[in-house]
Formats: sequence, structure tokens, C-alpha cells
Amino acid sequence: MSQAATELIRISGHAGTVPGAGLNREFQVCKLVDTTTCIGCKACEVACLEWNGYTFSETTFNNSYQTMPETAWNYWNLIKFNEHEREDGTLMLLMRKDQCMHCEDPGCLAACPAEAAIVQYANGIVDFQEANCIGCGYCMTGCPFNIPKFSPKARKVFKCTLCNDRVSVGLEPACIKACPTGCLHFGTKKEMKELAETRAEQLREHSGYREAGVYDPPGVGGTHVIYVLHDAKNPELYGGLPKNPQVPLMVRLWKHPLKWIGNFGIIFGVVGVFIHYLRYGPKVVEGDEDKGHGAKP
Amino acid sequence: MTNGWIDIKNTDMMLIMGGNPAENHPCGFKWAMEAKRDRNAKLISVDPRFTRTSSTADLFLQIRAGTDIVFLGGLIRYALENNRIAKDYLANYTNAAFIIKDGFKLPEDGLYSGFDSEAGKYDFSTWNYEGADGSDRQAGTVRHSPDVVPGKAGGATPPPHLPPNVAFDLALQHPRCVFQLLKRQYSRYTPETVERITGIPRDQFVKAADLFTSVRKDGDMKKVATIIYAVGWTQHTFGTQIIRTAAMIQLLLGNVGRAGGGVNALRGHSNIQGATDMAGLYDSLPGYLKAPVPADSDLDTYLKRITPGSSKPSPWASFNYYSNTPKFAVSLLKSMYGDAAKKENQFAFDYLPKVDRDYSWTHIWDDMYNGKVKGMMAFGMNGVMIGPDTNKNINALKKADWLVVGEIYPDETSEFWRAPGITADEQKTINTTVYRLPCAGFAEKDGSMTNSARWATWKYAAVPPPGQARLDQDIVAEIFLRVRQLYKKEGGKFPDPILNLSWAYADAAHPSLSQVAMEVNGKALADLTDPTTGQVIKAGQQLPGFAWLKDDGTTACGNWIYSGSWTEAGNQMARRGNEDPSGLGVFQGWSWSWPANRRVLYNRASCDPDGKPWDPSRKQVWWNEAAGKWVGNDVPDFKPDSAPKDHMGPFIMNPEGIGRLFAPIGVIADGPFPEHYEPIESPIKNPLHPDQSNNPLVKKFKTPYDKFGTPDEYSIVCTTYRLTEHYHYWTKNNPMNVQLIPEPFVEIPVELADEKGIRGTEMIKVISARGTYMAKAFVTRRLKPMMIDGKKVYQIGLPIHQGFRGIAEDEGRDARTPANLLTPAVTDPNAHTPESKGFLVKIEKA
Amino acid sequence: MSREPYLLPNGRVLRYTFHERVVHWLTGVSYLYLLFTGLAFWSPWLFWIAVVLGGDTISRELHPWFGLVFIVGVSLMYKMWHRQMKETPSDKAWWAAIGHYIRNEDDQVPSADRFNPGQKLLFWGFFWNGILLLLSGLILWFPQYIPWNLRFLRLAAVFLHPVFALATIALFIIHVYMGTAMERGAFGSVIRGDVSRAWANKHHHTWYEQLLRDSAARK
Repeated sequence: MSQAATELIRISGHAGTVPGAGLNREFQVCKLVDTTTCIGCKACEVACLEWNGYTFSETTFNNSYQTMPETAWNYWNLIKFNEHEREDGTLMLLMRKDQCMHCEDPGCLAACPAEAAIVQYANGIVDFQEANCIGCGYCMTGCPFNIPKFSPKARKVFKCTLCNDRVSVGLEPACIKACPTGCLHFGTKKEMKELAETRAEQLREHSGYREAGVYDPPGVGGTHVIYVLHDAKNPELYGGLPKNPQVPLMVRLWKHPLKWIGNFGIIFGVVGVFIHYLRYGPKVVEGDEDKGHGAKP
Repeated sequence: MTNGWIDIKNTDMMLIMGGNPAENHPCGFKWAMEAKRDRNAKLISVDPRFTRTSSTADLFLQIRAGTDIVFLGGLIRYALENNRIAKDYLANYTNAAFIIKDGFKLPEDGLYSGFDSEAGKYDFSTWNYEGADGSDRQAGTVRHSPDVVPGKAGGATPPPHLPPNVAFDLALQHPRCVFQLLKRQYSRYTPETVERITGIPRDQFVKAADLFTSVRKDGDMKKVATIIYAVGWTQHTFGTQIIRTAAMIQLLLGNVGRAGGGVNALRGHSNIQGATDMAGLYDSLPGYLKAPVPADSDLDTYLKRITPGSSKPSPWASFNYYSNTPKFAVSLLKSMYGDAAKKENQFAFDYLPKVDRDYSWTHIWDDMYNGKVKGMMAFGMNGVMIGPDTNKNINALKKADWLVVGEIYPDETSEFWRAPGITADEQKTINTTVYRLPCAGFAEKDGSMTNSARWATWKYAAVPPPGQARLDQDIVAEIFLRVRQLYKKEGGKFPDPILNLSWAYADAAHPSLSQVAMEVNGKALADLTDPTTGQVIKAGQQLPGFAWLKDDGTTACGNWIYSGSWTEAGNQMARRGNEDPSGLGVFQGWSWSWPANRRVLYNRASCDPDGKPWDPSRKQVWWNEAAGKWVGNDVPDFKPDSAPKDHMGPFIMNPEGIGRLFAPIGVIADGPFPEHYEPIESPIKNPLHPDQSNNPLVKKFKTPYDKFGTPDEYSIVCTTYRLTEHYHYWTKNNPMNVQLIPEPFVEIPVELADEKGIRGTEMIKVISARGTYMAKAFVTRRLKPMMIDGKKVYQIGLPIHQGFRGIAEDEGRDARTPANLLTPAVTDPNAHTPESKGFLVKIEKA
Repeated sequence: MSREPYLLPNGRVLRYTFHERVVHWLTGVSYLYLLFTGLAFWSPWLFWIAVVLGGDTISRELHPWFGLVFIVGVSLMYKMWHRQMKETPSDKAWWAAIGHYIRNEDDQVPSADRFNPGQKLLFWGFFWNGILLLLSGLILWFPQYIPWNLRFLRLAAVFLHPVFALATIALFIIHVYMGTAMERGAFGSVIRGDVSRAWANKHHHTWYEQLLRDSAARK
């Protein structure tokens, strides 16, 4: 763990207080992906592999420039290519760098039952601690972005760390470093948000993308990876970016009402039968030599 | 590039055509994105395919491959019709006002005046300026002919030359002035014609033309547009003319010489600019000096032929920088032959080989196929893969005696005998001896690399070459030293050029590239004094620049344009200064740019005739009246003390001093103005002149492999390209790249796929008259069917990377067919580049 | 089933055969493991159970396998008992008298067959919840094989698996209470297999009567 434990603001599967709860960091980090200047060169994909020490994984041609259909446990950063024909007949080749969004309200962390397998730092990074991962895959279900991926070999789940190891020593994430066009930016959430809004405004005013906007979905409390999109009204066009991602209702129901109903129910049941025993006692069989268990045959 | 990579950030408008920089130059494309972000620059992408460059464009037009001249000609017409031209620039900095000889004929029927149908070439005598007061008829003026291969030695008619005093009409009204001829030439390129030939709907074309020429709206000169291209333009039988059309547009709009403007060729390899500068073509010597031909009986004749005399309207001045050619040539001879090059033996001019015919790429292979070339040394390139007509080349290699390949991977050239289709029995009959020499890779050697922006940047070896791999220069040195030893021992017909070649490296068997670079820069061989400043360069010292070169044997210089790259102050190419006071991305202190560390060529043209910048917010150079010289943020590309009132033209490398809208006396062999010709294989007859559909200067070879398809059998237009995921033929050996694009594919339109019942990822055959290529279908909407001259035409594209050596190939995941077995070996008559970017095929399910 | 000599020579009644007892404990032990590891994943406050049971990763690995064992047990129970667990017309009356049953006013409760309707509820409750737990559990076991567009299955499983589990816990609490504290002799019956005649007569009067009739008929 390269970040101090006192900077943990959320810990999965954790009973009791969180050391960094309430900690208000001066800044929260943010990655900005400007899809309108992405050229799909995949330098970020290779930089991610090289920094994180993953090497070759076999792929096959799938009628696309896209390296593989979706991110993999050992392929955290994938540019999704989508051909989109607009109403006026013009074509768009939408390219979006897909990776962990580092939600402010992370569904993976909410769903994770294992103590400290997923943590959130005060700077906003949501990081998997594989040593604590039990491989249940609940995070995969909790994530609205289809990011955490199960490794059948390691029997654990992996995802982008936002280069927590680099960021914690003052470097930008590897993908940012590799990007040749300046489509990727890294800085504080505030700065990135401003930069993104400025760019979106420019696209609306000067490039004819009237629906250009910033993707920072409120349903998960905002994200620490934000997008500038040509068409912010239709994020689904960009390889399945959800319009209004949420920590899934089922996970919320499970974690909150069900948990309390269940806990109450179990305690009520145990206490209930005890009180019943105190009030009514056992059912006694009259004339029976065998008054209880353990009697000899 | 007239400008440079970083300079693209200064532009207001980009036309990207015949190139796909987002995929093939992703790092440089940063500056295009910066222009969009910081200046709201517009980007127009015109390409046969919707590429990743197109995805960032404000406007994309799908063009039929090989019809670029029609589009650009239409653009010229639009600019002229709508008065979106730079009037002052045009009149003063181009030959728009020059009057052309009577008898010159425009190619309304497909041919310019002077065509000799028997010889298949033009007589250039009418392609010339009219001399004022008949000076063009005076005898004894210095001749200038670009014709590097004149007929037989001592041919009958002397080549035409430019008149020293040119007739002109600044009002641009004379019916034979270049401007009026230009207007007439492109009046035929209407939006309707553009639509009919290129397949671009006229409203879309007009939209693009309006957008591009909007930088000259109402004659305002502040805005600048750039044109960016790559081999999508060069690889045609009229490639040079496409680029010329672009240059003409830029002259018409006054965009050349200006920050954010210019005509910018994106080179396809890290140091291909350097290779070209060092005489990459058979008909040039280092620094683009023309190679001697048999008719050059002595040095004097040679120098007279290649040194132009000035040619201009008499009230104007012309620097005519190439009048210094003898200094460059003699210094080169001194550099090559050292003390053996003496005044008495014409500086060893006789040692230089004389070019007696065409030795360009396709001819080498044709000669080998015909048994004339017996052996080949292939270094730093995969010969079987890069050229057209792979099957012919493989069959040519079968006939060779020997082949030496210096490479970092086992490649298709060194294993041509394992090409698909060659059986084990046939392999036994191939007697070519192949020597494979493992070479050092780019990270394993030092030296300079010259990028598209003409920056020579020194680099250092990161790691030593692995195993038995050796540095290229060590291999070349050893071959040379052994050959020299043989000549020493056995004599031979003419051993002198070999025995006397200067080889003054500290370690003869391992020449240091630093020493080679110093040799290229040049040094003084005697004490030299500058007559104006009194500065002295001592014998043996490095020269500060090419202005010091002499034609009397007192200087040596391996390549005049690189003079100044390694001076007494040290290796200028290794500089890493990152100051940019002007903010224009000039970076004077970063590496070194030829010529003379200038970053933007012809930058005098960034100022109006009075010497004031057209756009004060982008000041490159300007005339400082008080100092009496040109100063600026860049090195002025001009005679430093020539005052604006002298009216010296900014294009100092032309004897006229102006930019050429009209290319006179055959400097471009196939016409003074570009004219649209159809690719050799085309789905239609040229609607402009069906009887002269193709470029009349194109010649075809006669082997059984030089076959051509007709549109009734091969109806689909095919183009080839590279992908961002791969670098040429190397990276298919690197797992990381193979993972990104694991297999070859063919991009085909959805409509064509539906018609043929082909689904994405299915294996298909692409068949041309020359061969069959196999790969998986990539069904996409990024290629659409087009209406060409009333016919529905499909266009498909395929990347060139995969062949029969590499990871996917070895795993059997690839059909192992190289893409270039489809392409024809027909070339551009000027640059000898083959037509890989537009030919006919048919497809079927495999 | 009735061919077996249920009235034992020592004057006791065979309540559960050896086979039945083995199946019961196979199911019971696997259920206990599932319960404890399940509770560990249910709440961070109980995560220590997983550690006690050999580690959190091992618990996650074995929980589904024990689930399969449990389902095998439930299936065997179904095979053994499903006929006897069928609802009969008299069950209604028993349920109507459930208040008396709870208050130990057993004389006012209609007599029961081999399994009283409460036991039947327990059986069917475990049976159906077992199936549902199996289905949702399989999804939770291999979430990586559920494609993204069928994600609702994973989400449903995440929520419903504990819902079904809670239902079995409710049944389980009553079952354990009844089998140990409340009905003296019941626990012994599932260990040793036999009960006293009085016990059989009291708790499963109809069944006991039938045994007597069968026995007389055999003689």
C-alpha cells in the first residue's frame, strides 16, 4: 500500500470506524479524457501494460480496431471504437478510453464483503488490495461500468489503480504520460472539471457539437475519471458508457434495508424462541421414561 | 515539410489529404490537436477511407483514390472564382504575372504542347517564359535544365533554358500570363466535374472549398492554412503533380513561408528525410545536387548544366542561391576524395559514376528479373515487402546470384525462398546465396535522425547490439576495406575511385558516426577569411555554414545543406535548448534544422512586400530598416541585407526568386500545370479527355508479372495503408504490437459485404491482375460506395504490414500473403514512386 | 417404508432409519458451514467467522462446494420424504390449532402423521429455498461468465441469495429450537433413531396408530 492508511476514507467489508473518515484533502485527483481529441492510437493501452507489468495476451481480429471486446483482468485500459452514423448521414468514429472511473461513491466497494479488499483514498482513488481479495466477484456486480475483472488463475479481481503507485509519489498515471495528442489530462478534480467545461463549451460554439458536454455522472457521486463527449446526451454511443450510472439498486437494497431486516429478524428469532421456552417450556410426554435426550436405550 | 511539426499549432486551417497523421504520425498530430484547441483551427480530411484522422476532422470527404488533382484543381478554381486569393503575394512572390511563350498549349485534350508520342516524352521548349526584349533568344546565357537524363550523349538539341529577363504583366491581364493560363486550365475543374470524377457530392465539395479558402475571405491576409500530406499523394503515377497542385493552392492563398502554413510532407520513417538528404535517389548527390550524366564530359560542363542563371523581370532582384552550386559540388568532391581531388584533375570529377538511365526502385527489380542485376545488398528495408508487385520481386530474387540482408529480424526478403506458393521441390532449384547479417536496431546506435521538419537530432545508443549484431557502419566499413584491399592487390579496370576514396576515420573498421557527421558538415582546408566581416577560419577547422564553401578546393563538405550542423562550437544536432521566446514553436536552440537552422522555409514570404509581417501576431522575420537587415524569431531564409525596395523574390532557391505556379522547362516532366490523369488501373476513362486517360509519360514493364486489370473484370478500387498499431514490417515481431492488431484484414464497405454475402472476420480473397491476397474481412461503414461518372464504385483498403514472417505468420494465424503482391509496378515520371494507392481488384469469399 | 419393523423389540419405536439420519446430518452439517461462512460475508461484524473457519479466501472457495453438498442432502431428503410431506386435508385443522401447539396445549391439537404440518413447512421451505439458493448461488459462484447484458441476473442473485438464506435461517432457528429444547426426545431420535412409544403416541399419534395397525396385520 503506497498511500498512508490514515488517508483511507472508505474500506470495504470493514466493521467500525475508518481511519481517514472525514479527512478533507486539499485536492482530489482526476483524469480527464477528451474523446474529441483521442486518435485511438492505443499508446495508453501499451503504457498501462508496461507500467503494470502485464505482457502479451492473445487476441483475435474482431471486425474492429479495438484490441479486445472489453477490458480484462490483465488489460485495464482499452480504447473502445464505435462507428456512429449521425442523422445527417455523416459518420463519426467514436473512440473512448475505457478504464476504472474511480467513482466518488464506488459500487464495487459497496458490494465488497472482504475487509479492506477495496479502499478509497482521500484523493479519490479507488484501489483494489488484492492481498485481501477473496475473489467473490461482488465488485464486478456492484460496478456500473463493467470494470473489475476476475482472473481465473489468481482467483482474484483486478482493475485500474489510477496508477496509485505513481500518483502517490507525485507522478501522473502511465496512460497520461503516454498520450501523444493531449487528449488525456491529469490534475485536481476542480482543475479538470474546469478544463473539461471550457473544452465542451468550445466544442459547442466552434465545432458544431451542440450537445458536447462533460461526463461526470452524479449517480455515483461523480467520478475521478471524467470525459468530454461530442454528444453528452448519448454516452451509450461511446461503447456502452451508461447514461446514468448508479450503485445498483439491488446492491443498495442488499446492503441497507435487507441487512437491517435480516439482522433484526435473526436476533428476533433467537430471542423469540428463548422467551418461548421461558414461558412455555418443553413439550413433556406424560408417562415417558425418556425425559430428555441422552437417555440410554 | 516547408514548415515543421510544432509549427502546425500556429495554423487556422488544415487540409489533410493523402495522409493519415493521426494513425501514422500520432506524436506529431499533437500539434494539429493543439491548433484545434488553442486557435479553433478547422480540419478538413479528404481520404478514400474515414480514418482516425477523419474522426477528429470538422469535415470529412470520401474521395476516390487517385483523383486528388481534380479535387485540388477544383479548389483552385473555387478560390479564383470567389476571389479568395492573396493578390499582393501572388503578383510579387509567384510567377503569376510572368508571360509564357506563344505556342504553349494547355492539355484540353490531355496533352501539353510538345508531346513526342514516339519517345513518350515532351519537348519543353514552349514550356517557358517569354523573354522581355527578346533576351530568351540570346545565345550564351547560362543554361538551366533539370533534365537529369538527357537523350544520348551529345544529343542534337540543347535543352531549353530560362530567359534572364522575363516579360511580365503585374495587372495579371495578359492572355498568356501565368495567372490567366492557370484560370483557363482549372476552369474545367467545376464542382460538377469534381463530383463526377472524385465521387464527392458537389455540395460537400463546395462546403470544403468554402471552408478552406475562408482564410482569404475578403482578401484578409491574417489567417493561415496548411496542407498536410504523406504517401497517399506520392504513390501515384502523377504523385509529384498532386503535391504541386497543393503548392500552387498555397501560393495562390499566400500560405507558403508563413507560420501555420506551407506544404507539409509527413515522412514515413524516423530518418527518411535524412536518407533523402543524403542522396536517397539514384539521380542525385548529397544535398540534392544533380548526379552527373554521360554528357557531362568534364567538371565544367557538369557545373554549367546544373547551375542555373537568374531569370526574372528586369526591375526585380533575384538571389538565385543555386548559383553557388559549383561551391557545393567541388566541396563534395573534396570531401569524397580528399587530396586526390585536385584542380588539375577537375577535383576527381571523373571518379563519380555517370547516370546513364533510370535506376529507380522498380527498374532495379526489373533488371534483376531480366538477369541484368546479379546481386543485391538490402539494408534497413524489407525489399520484397515495400515495393509493388511482390511476386515479380520474389521471382527476380530467385534469379539473382546473391543477396545480402542486414536486418534486426528474419524478414521476408531474406526468406523470399519461403514465400507462400514456393514448394519444397522448387526451393531446391533456387540457387541464390543469401547472407543474413544481424544488424543493430535504432536504440543500439548513435547518430543523427532527420525528421519531417528537417530537424537533425543527435541521439545516443541506449544499449549495445545483442549477440552477433553489428552496427551498419561497421559492416559497410568492412566490406569497403576488403574491396579496397582487392583493388590494391589485383588492380582492375578503374581502381582510382576506390583507392582514393577518403576514409579518414580514427578507426577505419569502425567509423565513428561523430566523425562522419563532422565530415558531412565540412571543414576548411586552407585559412579562409570572410571579406566583409574579416572573420577567419583556420585550416582544419569545422565550417560554420555553407556560406563559407568555396569552389577552389579550399573547403570540403559532405553535404552542403548540413553545413552548420557540427561546427567548431560542437555538435549542433545535440543541442537541447528549450527556449521559445516568440511562442511560435521555433525552438532555435533545439537540435539543428537544415538549412542554416531555419525552421520555416521561405519565411521572407511571411512579410508583405514592404517587409512587414502579414500577421503581426505571428511575427517570424521582418525587415529592420535601422539595422538595414532582416531579423526575426527564425533565421531569415533570405539575403540578409536585401531591402524590400530591391524587390528580391522570397523563393531564393528558384532562379526567378518566386514561387512557381507554372513549372517551366520541364522541371516537372509531365506538365507545367498539373492535369488530372486516371490511375493506370481505373474504373473509368478520364472524363476530361477519354483518349488520353492516363499520364502519357508512364511506361510499363514487359515481364509476365506486369499485368494490368480492366474495370469489367476488376471493378473495385483498392488502396493500401499503414496502421497506428504497427510500424511497417517490424512490429509484427513484437508481441505488444501483435496483440493490438493481431491479424491482417481488408476493410470493405457494408454494402459490398452484403452484396457478396461476406460477414466481418470471414476470410476473403482480394485479387488483382498480379496476385491474390488473403485476409479477414473488416466490414465497416467507414468506406461507402461512390457514384463515379454515373457508375457505382466500391472502394476497399488493406494495411500492408503482414507477410510471411512474424508472430501471427509463424503461428499460422495469417494467410501469409504480402499486400504489395496486388500493386502494379508503374511509377510517377518525376519521383519514380510506384502507384500503390489506387489500383483495381475484385474480391471473393475464400 | 411401512414394511420396516418400526416397532422395535425393546419397546421403542424407530423414528428415523440409519439412512435418514445420515442424510439429515449431511444436510445439517453442510448447512451449518454455509450458515457460518454466509454470515461472515453478510456482515463485516461477522467476517471473523470466516477467519476462524480457515480463512476468508478458503471460505469463499468452499462455500459453493458445501452448497452442492447441501443440495445433494436436500435432494436425498426429497427422495425419501416428499410423499410423506404432502399436504393432507387434516393439515388445515392443525394449522388452525397452531396457537394451542405453541402454548403446549397439545391435547387440543389434531393428531399428526409421521410429520406434522409444521415439519412439512420446514421441509418444503428448505427444499424450495435450497433450489433458489442453488440457482442464485451458481450465478454468484461464476459471475465472470455472466455476460454484461445479463447483468440483471448477477444483481438479482446478489440480493436474493441472502433473502432465501434468511428464510432458511428463520426455519432453522425454529427447527433447532424444536428439535433440541422444546421437543424432548426429538434430538435423540435423529441421533439414535428411536423414540419412546409415548413420545410417538403424543407427537405423531396418527402415525403411531398406523404402526400398530401395520404390526397387527403383519402378525
